[in-house]
Amino acid sequence: MRFGKYKRLLIITTILIIAIAGFTYNASRQVIDFSAEVKPIINKNCITCHGGVRRQADFSLLFRSDALAKAKSGKYAIIPGDPDHSEMIRRITLKDPEERMPYKHKPLSEDQINVLRKWIKQGAQWGDHWAYVPVKEEPVPKPKASLFGLRPAKKIDWVKNDIDYFIYDKLQEENLQPSPEADKATLLRRVSLDLTGLPPSESIKQQFLQNKNTNAYEILVDSLLASPYYGEHLTAMWLDLARYADTKGYERDDSRQIWKYRDWLIKAFNNDKPYDEFLIDQLAGDLLPNATDDDFIATAFNRNTLTNDEGGTDNEEFRTAAVLDRVNTTWQALMGTTFGCVQCHSHPYDLFRHEDYYKFMAFFNDTRDEDTFDDYPLLRKYKSEDSVKLFQVINWLKQNASQEEAKRIYIFLKTWQPSINSLQADELVNSALNDTKWLVLRNHAVARLRQVDLEKKSELIFRYDGYLEGGVWTIHLDKPDGTVLKTISVAKTKGWKITSVDFPPGTGVHDLYFTYTNSDLKKPDGNGILFDWFYFTNPLEGRDKKGYDEINRMFWELLVAQVSTTPIMMDNPPDMHRASYVFERGNWLVKGEKVMPDVPRSLNPFPKNASRNRLGLAKWLTSKQNPLTARTMVNRLWEQLFGVGLVETLEDMGTQGATPTHRELLDYLAWNYMNTFNWSTKKLLKEIVMSATYMQDAKVSKENLEKDPNNKWYSRAPRVRLSAEQVRDQALAVSGLLSEKMYGPGVMPWQPAGIWKSPYNGLAWMKSEGEDQYRRSLYTYWKRSAPYPSMMTFDAASREVCTARRIRTNTPLQALVILNDSVYLEAGRHFAYRMQDETKSNNANEWISKGYEIAMLKPITQSKLKALVTLYDKAYTQFKDDKIKTADMVGDKDGQRNNPETAALIVVAGAILNLDELITKN
Amino acid sequence: MTQKELHNQRLVKEANEKTLQFYTRRHFIKETAMGFGSLALGSLLGSCGSGTSQTNHSIAFDPAHPLAPKMPMFAARAKNVIYLHMAGAPSQLELFDYKPDLMKLDGQLCPQSLLEGKHFAFIRGVPKMLGPQAAFKQHGQSGSWVSDNMPHLASIVDEITFLKGCTTDQFNHGPAQLLVHTGGARLGRPSLGAWATYGLGTENQNLPGFVVLTSGGNFPDAGKSVWGSGFLPSVYQGVQCRTEGDPVLFIKDPKGMDRDLRKASIDAINEVNQQEYAEFKDPEILSRISQYEMAYRMQIAAPEVMNINDEPQYIHEMYGTKPGEACFANNILLARKLVEKGVRFVQLFDWGWDSHGTGADTAVDIGLINKCRQVDKSITALILDLKQRGLLEETLVVWGGEFGRTPMMENREGKPNPFKGRDHHLDAFTMWMAGGGIKKGYSYGETDEIGYYPISGKVTPFDVQATILNQLGFDHEKFTYQFQGRPFRLTDVSGEVIQDIIA
Repeated sequence: MRFGKYKRLLIITTILIIAIAGFTYNASRQVIDFSAEVKPIINKNCITCHGGVRRQADFSLLFRSDALAKAKSGKYAIIPGDPDHSEMIRRITLKDPEERMPYKHKPLSEDQINVLRKWIKQGAQWGDHWAYVPVKEEPVPKPKASLFGLRPAKKIDWVKNDIDYFIYDKLQEENLQPSPEADKATLLRRVSLDLTGLPPSESIKQQFLQNKNTNAYEILVDSLLASPYYGEHLTAMWLDLARYADTKGYERDDSRQIWKYRDWLIKAFNNDKPYDEFLIDQLAGDLLPNATDDDFIATAFNRNTLTNDEGGTDNEEFRTAAVLDRVNTTWQALMGTTFGCVQCHSHPYDLFRHEDYYKFMAFFNDTRDEDTFDDYPLLRKYKSEDSVKLFQVINWLKQNASQEEAKRIYIFLKTWQPSINSLQADELVNSALNDTKWLVLRNHAVARLRQVDLEKKSELIFRYDGYLEGGVWTIHLDKPDGTVLKTISVAKTKGWKITSVDFPPGTGVHDLYFTYTNSDLKKPDGNGILFDWFYFTNPLEGRDKKGYDEINRMFWELLVAQVSTTPIMMDNPPDMHRASYVFERGNWLVKGEKVMPDVPRSLNPFPKNASRNRLGLAKWLTSKQNPLTARTMVNRLWEQLFGVGLVETLEDMGTQGATPTHRELLDYLAWNYMNTFNWSTKKLLKEIVMSATYMQDAKVSKENLEKDPNNKWYSRAPRVRLSAEQVRDQALAVSGLLSEKMYGPGVMPWQPAGIWKSPYNGLAWMKSEGEDQYRRSLYTYWKRSAPYPSMMTFDAASREVCTARRIRTNTPLQALVILNDSVYLEAGRHFAYRMQDETKSNNANEWISKGYEIAMLKPITQSKLKALVTLYDKAYTQFKDDKIKTADMVGDKDGQRNNPETAALIVVAGAILNLDELITKN
Repeated sequence: MTQKELHNQRLVKEANEKTLQFYTRRHFIKETAMGFGSLALGSLLGSCGSGTSQTNHSIAFDPAHPLAPKMPMFAARAKNVIYLHMAGAPSQLELFDYKPDLMKLDGQLCPQSLLEGKHFAFIRGVPKMLGPQAAFKQHGQSGSWVSDNMPHLASIVDEITFLKGCTTDQFNHGPAQLLVHTGGARLGRPSLGAWATYGLGTENQNLPGFVVLTSGGNFPDAGKSVWGSGFLPSVYQGVQCRTEGDPVLFIKDPKGMDRDLRKASIDAINEVNQQEYAEFKDPEILSRISQYEMAYRMQIAAPEVMNINDEPQYIHEMYGTKPGEACFANNILLARKLVEKGVRFVQLFDWGWDSHGTGADTAVDIGLINKCRQVDKSITALILDLKQRGLLEETLVVWGGEFGRTPMMENREGKPNPFKGRDHHLDAFTMWMAGGGIKKGYSYGETDEIGYYPISGKVTPFDVQATILNQLGFDHEKFTYQFQGRPFRLTDVSGEVIQDIIA
């Protein structure tokens, strides 16, 4: 026994000695971590002058290859392994302030110099910033058995799933304790608002509150994720990223029909379309083999850019602006990286070179959209009888012509592409780009279409507006008086018309010169003909086959059929290819070196066998090797649930972004999102909301508040004010007004008069009828220059550009919205009626208790009830003797509700809608 | 050759030479690569590159009290700003920039040299020159030139500094207005007023810190983005106060709810919120409570300050106000009241200054005169009123449009317009400032004989912004906001304070 005890002691002592020795040994031999230790020193003290923008003395610390090169002085700033001969170390240790670095700033501290010295000694390795390194499987920091298994692993009762180990680990480090689980009602409201954006339906509520089984919460989560409201809620989030709006932006800010994209999002989220496919469809759906209408509509993601209709604007300037916006949005929204910097110069801090921007832009630059008034290219959605015709035409062509012809005709009928927009015309004489939108020819006009491929083409289909009879339009080859390709008599039309002319089969590429004469045009400035687009082609194949005439007739009917349209992305065909260039210093007018589509070398390689187009790009972006895509989405969803991301700066995870609070957890979730959940957003969300971290109570002890004032370490559940959409939707839901109708064009709920006053734009806010008044907020018509005012007050985004993160504010104007906006007054009235109807009582206490419970899902406390009843009594006293006020408050002079009791209850209902606890997710 | 022809020939020759001195817009932009001025890399970096905190002034953003008054970087000359924007761009050639030589060229074809490489919004082919359509006189001690279109303003030129060499690089209203107010021609950046309230907060917590008033029947072309908060927290966006309908959106209690009952309802809301706070200890709840109290006070303060009926008769006469109407004169009186009440930034937009000559209302000899009549008296009254109240010294008044107008008569689509009008002109226009530590009775900058290009004292919108911020006590190069991973500033990568106009 005695010996045994000594032996154990001996073992322990030996272990201790080894451990201490090992620790000391490690401390002196410790490898310097570039990202954690060196990069911060460089970023703070050196990179301003020796970085991506300025390279003083030809020395830059951005890339290792640059830093190890000979500087202007002929010396090497960094010699790996040899700090003593490295010029950088010499300069930072000098005493003479004229020569010492950082120049004209405080010298580096002894510690900082030691870090740099040691780092050079160890070989000056460039570590990568964590966000640019592919996501690896992250071990879960579970407590381990210690003392060679002598002491078993500690069990942590609080933990529900692996997420909690990561959180618990940090809480321990910060000497904090997690909070217990919140009560059922609170959890119900929280998770319902988080997953559907709305309070729960009555049936879901009852199911959960009455289910005493341990799996009740999981069943709740599953049913919320299965609710169609889920897709609407996540779409509301995505619309900010996609800068979705119902108008085109800029001065005229005219309407745009792009709501089918919004509906596509709702369906995609509800079907839990894997996130990689979700992105591929939006970035490159048009390039997918056998792309469907839905695939095309998904690409409207990148057609939410602004279009400038103001007269006199340079269409190429605004086309370019839209392309740059697509690049910036792709990086900011999908890859949490500020790429805009690189537009003008190499990234000052991160590993992106100036030309990387333009190589990346080249993926987006070769598309058909050209800032046209009609937002071409559009996907044309046929009515069902026309869809049948389309099917017949395509089938006939497949059987009687060729697959290629069928495909060409399909694309042309669905999109009118690839046609040449008339605004491409130049060398204008007696002609003009009318309002810089369409080519107009006058008497004795000349205009040019550059570089048109006529090889084996013999037909021109064009869309035009003939102003008067008797026009003669002639197409010449190569010069204004060159060989005549075709002379066309143009009659007067009733507005836009599509027609075709044939011409002798052409060869090669030509500049086409248009001339126009009309003896009836007496005034030199009288307009003769206006063009929209030109499509050089051939007649339908299969002329000698049976049924041709019928098919040709149907083709023409379809071409001019009434359709609804959605702007889409579409690449240029080879003969319309648009090359890309570096813009010197970001200026689109100063084109530098020509570039080919590519991705930054500092990230994952472009997938082998992928084509160098947007589809290849989308595959690169959704590759599991891409370090940013999964992390960005996980971080965003975390922010949606907890109010703040694991990296606070959703828009920038680079070296200038915020430091992650729980980097390992972020990586753990990102890895599982890709590999375990196969990009299922629903599974990821479920994992997070099933964690003890999420399910905590929000109450905070004084100690925790002091130690962790911003709840950075999740020692409690966060309290977050609801989003602009949620605040309104909840009021509608609580009052029973909310419409369940999904999809369709934007609606116009009540807003004060005089909000819309755009010049040159006859649009008006036409209050929607019936239930469209009470649709969820994401269906509200969104006009960029004058967005729905009450939602703007609650920090909604105007959606001119991608908004990666809304900053929440707390202002008196928000109070005024819920206190006085007619939308909330009406909600308050119906809320009061609901209280009366559902209690079937005449007792105000019962009404108010019921109202609170409808809103908060839990019984009211006595003291809160007292406050609200006091208000009721005061209001009742007023209304009792004042019929006019009563009628005003109830808003229905002749209705049966027109009594002082109801009027007083409406005042209380309004107060409940204003409660902090109601507009906050607890 | 007659003497007149000789003279004209000389003028055209001179204009030609001037043209050579100045690059065409595109060349200009290409040369400077970023669009404006001689751009040092240092200033490029100031905005884009160095995010290090020691060089930038970071403003503490307290979401609970986002509008609490804050100190500027250095002693300010102006506490408040009233910015009068004539949306559509008034013609400098009929107001302040007197060009007698242009009259001699009236009706002649514009020399090709002035058109080469130029891009106009509407002028096509070769337009004719259009002489000044107003009579000019010198006024005051300073001898500043003002046309008969602004007879009242002419009487106070000794309070004003004119900037005659203003330029821009945006020839469409929307982008040009955005550039003037947000430092960028594209959407998405915070406006001048948003920056000012972000940096300084505001004095009167019962009123918004940044108030916008519009007149002329339309919003400015660029829409509400010209008073937006861009990437700054939305609390800093301009609050539009209106002279028709509610003065501030949603400020009026619903029908049937009197002040007493409103008070009782806010008391009940806050009582429940207090109990909520007792349970959760979330400081955000306290902030909500104070916002509801402030909302209640604002409901009284805003309609009060927006009500001009109580002003004495002589004030109404002085300003030429028309109570009950949405007009510029009412707005400008409100601007004075708001500043007096401690509102930091008041922004007025008056629409209808786009004098193309496509109709009588946009003719420089008809419509423009009417527009001048609508503003002349009231602007003059504002300056005098501020002065008599001792507010002019601490209130910077800025007047201008988004660009200038051509010395040529507009010929839309190549045909002369039915009325005398002028197209948008980027290279020269006039703005003026008064009060807030700006020189009195001064004129800065000069244009050539026909008002086509500045020959001295050229300033960009960034220079004007830098100067306004300077008067408010901010170094525009250090006054930044961290967004998308880098510090942004109002003046982007350009701008210099116009030192010469500071008193």
